[in-house]
Amino acid sequence: MNSKPTNQNELSHFGTRNSVPVGPILQGNEALGINRRRFLEAAGFTFTLAALNGCSRPEAELALPLVDQPEGLIPGQTQSYASTCAGCPAACGLLVGVRDGRPLKMEGMPEHPLSKGGLCAVGQALPLGLYDSHRLQYPLQHGEQSDWKKLDQQIRQTLDSIADSDGAVRFVTPTITSPTLQASINGFLKRFKDARHITFDSVSSSAILDAHEKTHGSRLLPHYLLDKAKLIVSFGADFLGTWISPVEFTAAWRVGRVPTEEHPVMSYHVHFEGQMSLTGSNADRRYRVAPDEYGTVLNHLYLQLAERSGQSPNREGVAGSPVPEADLSALADRLWDARGKSVILCDSQDVAVQVVVNTINHLLGNYGTTLDIARPSRQRQGNDRQVLKLIDDLNAGTVSALFVAGTDLTHNLPDRDKLAEAISRVRLVVSMAEREDDFASLAHFVCPDQHPLESWMDAEPISGLVSLSQPLLQPLGETRSILESLARWSGSEDSEYDILRSSWEKNILPRVDAGAFREFWDQAVHDGFVDVKPVETTVGEFKTAAVSLAPGATTTGDYCLTLYSRIGLTDSRHAHNPWLQELPDPVTKVTWDIYVCLSPTTAEKLKLTNGDVVRVKTGDDGLSIELPALVQRGQHDRVISIALGYGVKGTDRFANIGPQWFEGRPTVEKGELVGKNAAPLIIKGDATLQFVRSDVSISPTGQHRELASTQEYHSLEIPRNVAPHGAEVRDIVQLTTLPAFARNPESGKAELHFDPEVQLWADDHPQENHSWGMTIDLNICTGCSACLVACQSENNVPVVGKDEVRRQREMHWLRIDRYYAGDDDDVHVSHQPMMCQHCDNAPCETVCPVLATVHSNEGLNEQVYNRCVGTRYCANNCPYKVRRFNWFEYPHEDSVLNLALNPDVAVRSRGVMEKCSMCVQRIEEAKIDAKRRGEPVADGDIKMACQQSCPAQAIVFGDLNDTASNVYAEQENPRRYGVLEEFNFQQSVSYLRVVRNRDDIQQEDGGEHV
Amino acid sequence: MRQIIVTIALLIGLFFSLIVLASGMSDWRLPDNQQGYSPPQPISYSHRLHAGELGIDCRFCHTAAAHGQHAGIPSTDVCMKCHKYVTSSFGALQDELTKADEEKRKPKMIVSDELQKLYDTLGLEDPRTPNPDGDAKSIPWVKIHNLPDFVSFDHSAHVTAGVECQKCHGPVESMERVRQFESLSMGWCINCHRESPEKGINGHAVNASLNCSVCHH
Repeated sequence: MNSKPTNQNELSHFGTRNSVPVGPILQGNEALGINRRRFLEAAGFTFTLAALNGCSRPEAELALPLVDQPEGLIPGQTQSYASTCAGCPAACGLLVGVRDGRPLKMEGMPEHPLSKGGLCAVGQALPLGLYDSHRLQYPLQHGEQSDWKKLDQQIRQTLDSIADSDGAVRFVTPTITSPTLQASINGFLKRFKDARHITFDSVSSSAILDAHEKTHGSRLLPHYLLDKAKLIVSFGADFLGTWISPVEFTAAWRVGRVPTEEHPVMSYHVHFEGQMSLTGSNADRRYRVAPDEYGTVLNHLYLQLAERSGQSPNREGVAGSPVPEADLSALADRLWDARGKSVILCDSQDVAVQVVVNTINHLLGNYGTTLDIARPSRQRQGNDRQVLKLIDDLNAGTVSALFVAGTDLTHNLPDRDKLAEAISRVRLVVSMAEREDDFASLAHFVCPDQHPLESWMDAEPISGLVSLSQPLLQPLGETRSILESLARWSGSEDSEYDILRSSWEKNILPRVDAGAFREFWDQAVHDGFVDVKPVETTVGEFKTAAVSLAPGATTTGDYCLTLYSRIGLTDSRHAHNPWLQELPDPVTKVTWDIYVCLSPTTAEKLKLTNGDVVRVKTGDDGLSIELPALVQRGQHDRVISIALGYGVKGTDRFANIGPQWFEGRPTVEKGELVGKNAAPLIIKGDATLQFVRSDVSISPTGQHRELASTQEYHSLEIPRNVAPHGAEVRDIVQLTTLPAFARNPESGKAELHFDPEVQLWADDHPQENHSWGMTIDLNICTGCSACLVACQSENNVPVVGKDEVRRQREMHWLRIDRYYAGDDDDVHVSHQPMMCQHCDNAPCETVCPVLATVHSNEGLNEQVYNRCVGTRYCANNCPYKVRRFNWFEYPHEDSVLNLALNPDVAVRSRGVMEKCSMCVQRIEEAKIDAKRRGEPVADGDIKMACQQSCPAQAIVFGDLNDTASNVYAEQENPRRYGVLEEFNFQQSVSYLRVVRNRDDIQQEDGGEHV
Repeated sequence: MRQIIVTIALLIGLFFSLIVLASGMSDWRLPDNQQGYSPPQPISYSHRLHAGELGIDCRFCHTAAAHGQHAGIPSTDVCMKCHKYVTSSFGALQDELTKADEEKRKPKMIVSDELQKLYDTLGLEDPRTPNPDGDAKSIPWVKIHNLPDFVSFDHSAHVTAGVECQKCHGPVESMERVRQFESLSMGWCINCHRESPEKGINGHAVNASLNCSVCHH
């Protein structure tokens, strides 16, 4: 309403006539010539005018039809295109929902052999990276806008003279799974005498590849088949979170994690780690071991297993194990029994440690069963030795041309300034970054690559599985695909489409038994992937000569520092994505900031609490970084951990994200970035980049920096002083153990002290048509938070910024609660997705004075935004605390991002309550679709956004009235329970109990807890 | 005397303001009630002629009505299906033929003013020759039926249920210039959703939901 400006205009008019300034009138100063009565008259008149103004026509809106409508396009309907996710080299299958020419919603491709329909948070957040006006819109030459023609000519000229003078050309990329891009790079480099393609992964697995070179004679990464493993032992490998291919591994891990009444069997998952990772939090048994001691533990394990295999290995010089010998011996027994059905994983960057891992896997006969080296993975190709050589070459000044694509070289490597100085001496520096990142600011030419949703590309994540990604809209800027850039510099004018097609005709077609290329190609574009013959690899026999024990840890400092990649951000590539920045870390639940994790004991020793800034100092190189501390349960007392991928250039753009109000604080302080870059702490080892260092000391600085966390309570134990019957554990997350489950499938069930037949309300609201319901299997939910971003993308959930999160005002409709139990040496972590439970006896509905939240006759608890007046009574009365109030309007900081909004879901305005709607727009769409087809809605027709993305398929949704539906079957599952069932809310959402595969914990068949 | 003059002046003033008010009143609605809205369009396309007189089915042009949430405004190529050949009214063509006959010359191509606007949006000079370099633009139609952002309406659900177009859009086939016939208010929607499950639509039983989230999500 424009009453306020009109009012002031009117007053200023009075003001001029009587020569009275407006200000004092408002203060009611009668001496100034206008009295209260006249003021009210004037005000009344203006309000009336303003009100009448509202009765006029709104401005005309235009409806612009297409000039030539493509066949099959229906305005407003989503069309799905098969593609490949380019968020990381895992290359999961993607179904991109495109609507009216805009890619909007990323979904996992259910047919995909690796990801099996799941998609992680990074994949879900791709559209936000696409519609980002901070992406480079045109090429740059020495920081100035340039055009492609001029730039190509200059690059070609320089390259010609470099070729003539036999200069060294270096091309740096992260892992490339694309056969076409690899061929293009090779083709481009062919003409130079001294040219090398260097694969640099900012979080690398180089040691695994190097170890296989030693033990198998071929530098390869095995394809881990976790679905075939009955026993998974991981040393720090966060395979459910960030390690190599988390979505694929989650889908595979899930296979062994669903015990049924008839078949009460589960895989056994043991995790050794120093920090608390997502994978560790899901393990059956987790041991706290500092990462510099993995070698020692593995040595012991190897010795134990070698003895069982009949060898008599030399035990000399083996340090004492940090893990009790008895436990290791029991584990060795289990491993020995599960020969060929077990797998040892390790994320160590120490080649000697990885050699021991290979040896154990070989000893157990796992190669060929759970580790596939005939069709190896190509998802991590990083070669640190080459990277280290490149740094030496750069420092020596022997490089003439440096090309970098897909990674921020200077951000992700230590010794940034020295490196930048060395780069400044290179004759030709070209960056192909999407944004003006740190390296791009050093480059002579920036040739922005297209967003993956704008360009053609292919990928071969596993040898023999080739997938395609296709452009889904016209490029939004003057950007150019890297394939085309390489072609131009090699003197070809081909388009990326032609390059890709001809590469497929030449290289991929011969690997299949297909006839004509045209049909093969069309089918591949339609399906998104094809199975082809794997590339022949020459894998030698296991070389026993390579076997040696890993050297013991050499600790020089008080603490051992681990640099890890955070879920959602992975490396610096996604730091510009506000969804991912606001995604709570699945374990720590902190958003928008970087921190040092330390154990409760360490924190107590140093008298630190959450947010106290500590100085982390390293030994030899004397580096230091000051970061807030975060006390983390389950962390090893000697281990501190810091995430990589923060402190990215340009993230100061988020300073004003979120509402601007008088008490609001900026998300990023002036002159700062989101977090700090921890990459300078990486050690350049002899053969690999080391993300673990044992020469670290920490000291408090006395400063404090508040962290924005979405969860402040971490235990379901009721504190002794408030518990009515002594210390109790609440039954929010119910647990049992596998042996107890085998004896009694309902073990772990909480006793209910109520009669569900007794109802406060008359049962006069039948749900005749449908009764929507959902179950979430907590035993396979890993807490990875893919669902959270899927929900955000589907339901236009706004980003609120750090300060609002700190005030507990984040808007995520779906949150994942994480609880700790047990002691620090054997901590149990539970993850519980929590959203509106759609109670039939909903406490929120009875308190709404305007009936803005009501029950549908299909069992949904509806929130009607246009009716809501914002009393917030409902949120107060909701026992699950899942309702979110719009304290402000939350416009995108970048208006281009509005293109990512889902047109099916209303954008809520200020003063309105909102919550999970059970993706009612999807339900309605499916119902209408079924009506059009003249069929009833079938089970599986409707998939919630969270359910669709779930890599573990932990979420089942359907119609409870349909007795053949999956969700109906899940209601009969003996593990089913409801959260706060004792209040008889009759929720539509229920959970399946956690089953821990532990036989060393007593679990009574009744309701006692682990 | 002075009082009379003032009174007369005031009455004249009142008279004029009433005239201004009365003419303005015709355009006044309660907020968001757009009933009767009939803005001029960039091309005075006549639904009376096409849908009424010529009897073209609604869905010949509004193809998506049975398949998607939007009925869809036809793309320009749909117009060109006929107007590649039909460039003017029959009368004008007839006149030109007679005239050409009399003057013993070849008849000229007659293009009506409104159709010329159509060809202009496509960047055509002559309707029969496509111009590859022509700058084709969308026709900027003015939206008439405009629901608030917090409402979802799906055409296909209603068309599939057998609701006639006229039920909501009125007798469009008799309108020279389209106007919003019904109020399209929530009360009006709900009335139909209440009545139709009882009465059925064209003899068919239908299931019209009264849940809020059917439209508001």
